[in-house]
Amino acid sequence: MTAAASEPKANMGQPVPRYDATAKVTGRATYASDMPLDNPAYAFLVTSAIAKGRIDRFDLDDAGRVRGVIDIVTHENAPKLKESKLFSNGGYAGTTIQPLKSAEIAHDGQIIAVVIAESYEAAREAANRIKVSYTAATPSASFDSPGTTTATAKGQNSQFKEDPKVGDFAKAFDAAEVKLTASYDTPTQHHNPMELFTTSCAWMGDNLVIYEGSQFVYGLKNGVAEQLGIDADKVRVVNPYVGGGFGSRGSMTPRTAIIAGIAKRLNRPIKLVPTRDQGFTIATYRAETRHEIKLGASRDGRLVALRHEGAEVSSRPDAYCVGGTKTTTRLYACPNVDSLVSIVRADRNTPGFMRSPPEVPYLFALESALDELAVKLDMDPIELRRINDTTNEPISGKPYTSRSLMACFDEAAKAFGWGQRSPQPKSMSDGDWLIGYGCAATCYPTQMAPSAARVRLQRDGRTRVEIAGHEIGTGAYTVIAQTAAERLGVPLEKVAVFIGDSELPPAPVAGGSNSTASTCSAVMMVCDQIRQRLLKAVMPSDSLADKAKETVGISPAPSTQAAKGDRSLDLEKAFDALGVVVLEEYGEWKPEGAPLDSFRAMHNGQVRLIGGHAMKDQIAYAFGAEFVEVRVNRFTHEIRCPRLVGAFAAGRIMNPRTARSQLMGGLIWGMSSALLEATELDERNARYVNDNLADYLVPVNADVPGVEVIMLSEQDDHINPVGAKGLGELANVGTNAAICNAIYHATGQRIRKLPVRLENIEV
Amino acid sequence: MSDKSSSRPSGFDRRAFMAGAAGSVLVPMTARAAAQDASAPVAQDPSLPVEVTLRVNGKEKHLHLDARTTVLDALREHLKLTGSKKGCDHGQCGACTVLIDDRRVVSCLTLALAAEGQEITTIEGLATDDRLHPMQQAFIDNDAFQCGYCTPGQIMSAVACVKEGHAGNEADIREYMSGNICRCAAYPNIVAAVKQAAPEIMKG
Repeated sequence: MTAAASEPKANMGQPVPRYDATAKVTGRATYASDMPLDNPAYAFLVTSAIAKGRIDRFDLDDAGRVRGVIDIVTHENAPKLKESKLFSNGGYAGTTIQPLKSAEIAHDGQIIAVVIAESYEAAREAANRIKVSYTAATPSASFDSPGTTTATAKGQNSQFKEDPKVGDFAKAFDAAEVKLTASYDTPTQHHNPMELFTTSCAWMGDNLVIYEGSQFVYGLKNGVAEQLGIDADKVRVVNPYVGGGFGSRGSMTPRTAIIAGIAKRLNRPIKLVPTRDQGFTIATYRAETRHEIKLGASRDGRLVALRHEGAEVSSRPDAYCVGGTKTTTRLYACPNVDSLVSIVRADRNTPGFMRSPPEVPYLFALESALDELAVKLDMDPIELRRINDTTNEPISGKPYTSRSLMACFDEAAKAFGWGQRSPQPKSMSDGDWLIGYGCAATCYPTQMAPSAARVRLQRDGRTRVEIAGHEIGTGAYTVIAQTAAERLGVPLEKVAVFIGDSELPPAPVAGGSNSTASTCSAVMMVCDQIRQRLLKAVMPSDSLADKAKETVGISPAPSTQAAKGDRSLDLEKAFDALGVVVLEEYGEWKPEGAPLDSFRAMHNGQVRLIGGHAMKDQIAYAFGAEFVEVRVNRFTHEIRCPRLVGAFAAGRIMNPRTARSQLMGGLIWGMSSALLEATELDERNARYVNDNLADYLVPVNADVPGVEVIMLSEQDDHINPVGAKGLGELANVGTNAAICNAIYHATGQRIRKLPVRLENIEV
Repeated sequence: MSDKSSSRPSGFDRRAFMAGAAGSVLVPMTARAAAQDASAPVAQDPSLPVEVTLRVNGKEKHLHLDARTTVLDALREHLKLTGSKKGCDHGQCGACTVLIDDRRVVSCLTLALAAEGQEITTIEGLATDDRLHPMQQAFIDNDAFQCGYCTPGQIMSAVACVKEGHAGNEADIREYMSGNICRCAAYPNIVAAVKQAAPEIMKG
């Protein structure tokens, strides 16, 4: 066994290699822009050089003379498209800013023209020869810019229903023995998945095929159909492999319907490969946020008052917000809680989901503040968390379905060697390097959504599973195959999985870390339907009732246990008794508490996530604890992060290999967020400056010497049939605070603004 | 399709191409080049296709290409070898890494014309007779990828890293594999994979 495939503990599946491993190491895995097209024309985007104002005139003469140019599309001749509502308001779109609709410019880098040519090279040359005259207005870039407007999130974003509060914060804070007030800032960040935001569109008559990396093929299919004004059944989205998502491909971007419309008009397949820098403005991003935390505690460390105020930037027309107070007000025991989230509108493209959208900025603030409080109390930061650990969330008193937070702290602390830490800041060093140890809690809501699946089982055990899930690197193929093999009792190598195609039964968005729980619960249920038909054929009718209960009812017991009792079923005998060689079943699964319109919404590409704090009688989260060592050079102030240790508990671990890789990648994402990543904004022009992979810093191999992932055994029978909590967004949450806490320990300097760069250190 | 299977040599004069390609943007250089070499042909329109012969994975390929076509776009758009990926088109991410005469090269910054007469090896040319290359197997064993988009570039880079003698220890591997970005951050597993495959590659 390699380190990648650790020995499974209780309630963990086998660490089998990825289903798609061979395809991915041989170059045979086909991403959207790898799909063959019949005689495609190539599209190249032209984007706005101003952030606010209007286009007065295009001079297309030079561009039109470039050999091979077929068409130049601007707002003056663009296909007419219908509007789509914002994703977080029940629509499909990541932005309601629709380019090529008018001469108006809403943000820098907005698409203003599309050149279509016989070759990529000609399209690109012509795009660069287009001259644009603008009337520019002064844009508002961000928080401190003149001309922004600010309003509470409540009342303008339909997903942000309430600012959580309980008790009397003001009174309790006034009376608290120990008080802390601190402000924290997080920067703009861009997902930068390795695969560019490509789109290929090909029509066959009235039917459209879209090849595009998407985290939600049903959403994209329905959204593009809505924009084009055609029946959704005429649109098919195909993407068997997605080159990274991180949230950037969860909602529809305007480019898709534009390219589809042009392809229809030209009656020719069109391939668009935007540039890396265009990706910064034609898709979404993580908006910058600001926080003020007030904590009141008793001398013995019990929290008596907590207030979290957050502000987030969004675009002029869209009230996007992440509102992480839903998590930070519920994480620790505290009788008096208050919170408020505001949205600041600026002349920017609309932000969107980026890996753990609410938790990354909001937990950075809370987990930093707790460390500051621990210092004030002269208390070990782990003990402060232990004192305020709780089995019930404080806002409405609902119990956590399971919560292994302190077990994670203890395991990670042991592995990390926290006991060797001398608590005083600046007390540990190695030559020119100041050494700091820091830690923080991490958590992520456990979410599920309705999902369908189709399973076909042959007499010889060969199995075909069909579900419009998404392989964005999470291991979706693998855990779906494992679930079917386990549930049907067939060898893993006999299972074929088909995902990433909107012609398959609907699955939810690969977002909110719901995919494994949702898709595998659906696959499990449909496998049970097949088992039941087989059992009926071979079982005497009186024992059937018991067996059916065990296998078919969506019992909350984890899959292995339920399946084990039935391993004795002889497939060939059962098929022969039925007199058939193939059985096929389709089924639709929904989580407990899902609204009545769930299945209709699922087919329409609308998301109905259930879970987290929004469950009826309970609250479900996955937890973890993260420990880091930082080294800060006494003279150069260079910051290195030689060790990251995380311990996580997330219910059933379907595959310890793919789970470990996601958690490891998450820890590195967290380190990156703390020390490297920020999209720099030119405040005068509301423009992203470092819009490429050399200047937008992401980690490379040399940045991450030591990462250790510990997965705890945890069983939770109250969340979903699979018993799994999503973990793709669990590990990158606490790291920001853990690193800043470690930098404080190394240097005595508290840094409250991300990312931390060497110029921010004043040793 | 632009991929023709004749064995006719291209006969293309690279100097003429350079003069022609630069014609529209770098006038002084064109003038200088022409002045220095009286035999240089008149600069041709850079958007006219030129004939290019590439040797890819041991096979000769004759192509009609826009002279500005990169090796990456030639592979992907004209030869249907889509294993090499476009992640930035600026030589910043390494997803397009191929071997040219056994050196690792970012194919997005290399013009197809400049690669004529050299041996190009892509991810599709690494496995032999359906047997995976040791580096490919090591990537599987160590789960050295998630989404897989950077993987072909990582593997090509890793093969070269070993052959360059830069896989002797973990610190070296990390350093010499740092030209390839993996946004999923499978880095520790990539290091483990290179370590596993290195002895076998050096042996044979």
